[in-house]
Amino acid sequence: MTTALTQGLERIPDQTGYLVISEEGVLASAGELENDEHTAGVIMQMVRTACRFRLHGTAEPPFKRMSVMFEDYVYAVTISGQKVFVVKRQNNQREPVIV
Amino acid sequence: MGCCFSSDSETSQQNEEVKPLIPDPNLNKIPTNGSDRNADSLLSSRTDEQALLTTILQRTALNIIDVSAVDSQGMEQHEYMDRARQYSSKLEVLSRTLSQKKPVPLPSLSSQPHQVLAADLVSNADVQQVSKIAAYAYSAISQIKVDAKEDLVVQFAIP
Repeated sequence: MTTALTQGLERIPDQTGYLVISEEGVLASAGELENDEHTAGVIMQMVRTACRFRLHGTAEPPFKRMSVMFEDYVYAVTISGQKVFVVKRQNNQREPVIV
Repeated sequence: MGCCFSSDSETSQQNEEVKPLIPDPNLNKIPTNGSDRNADSLLSSRTDEQALLTTILQRTALNIIDVSAVDSQGMEQHEYMDRARQYSSKLEVLSRTLSQKKPVPLPSLSSQPHQVLAADLVSNADVQQVSKIAAYAYSAISQIKVDAKEDLVVQFAIP
């Protein structure tokens, strides 16, 4: 079952690691996020907080993906089937240089 | 707790406050037979005045909250223990119902997690715009302050 989950994550362009987290703990991890329980814990807290936001009294959380953006990389996070998926991707976007 | 303002008895209060303390001497012109009559009416108006003053004082004492009074009224030991017991039993009942609450389950944000995660990242322009908006919001919030125009605690005194 974990291979089905992780196969799709492996193929994500410019990914450098991923985590699959459930309520009980880390189900799978790889790359730079391998065995990174600390990051898993922090991201779980962040995504739980984000899920409490509501727009104009709607019933569901108002987002599909949460991005934690740093200078050179991004943690992209989403939830599906009671599991939190985290992928670390390189942030290659650069400011256009105005000459 | 007393109340600082009450509009319930507005009309009656107003009447009492504007009611003259000494009855208008020009009003009821009673034909006087001698000085005795005058003394009597003066005495009765004095007691009226006293009664009026007392009522005003009583009402003020009821409505004023003296914040400078440091020492509390003080409760008897048994009353204190009774209340402590009441409160702790109430807390017990509440804590029982609180611990039974189940943690909120994770909502599902997508049925295609891989697709969502592989999609284009947030553009730099968007990130900069959000950062700017957040900075404005932070600046606005940090400027919220209390505009203290008067003293919060004043001495209640007749000038």
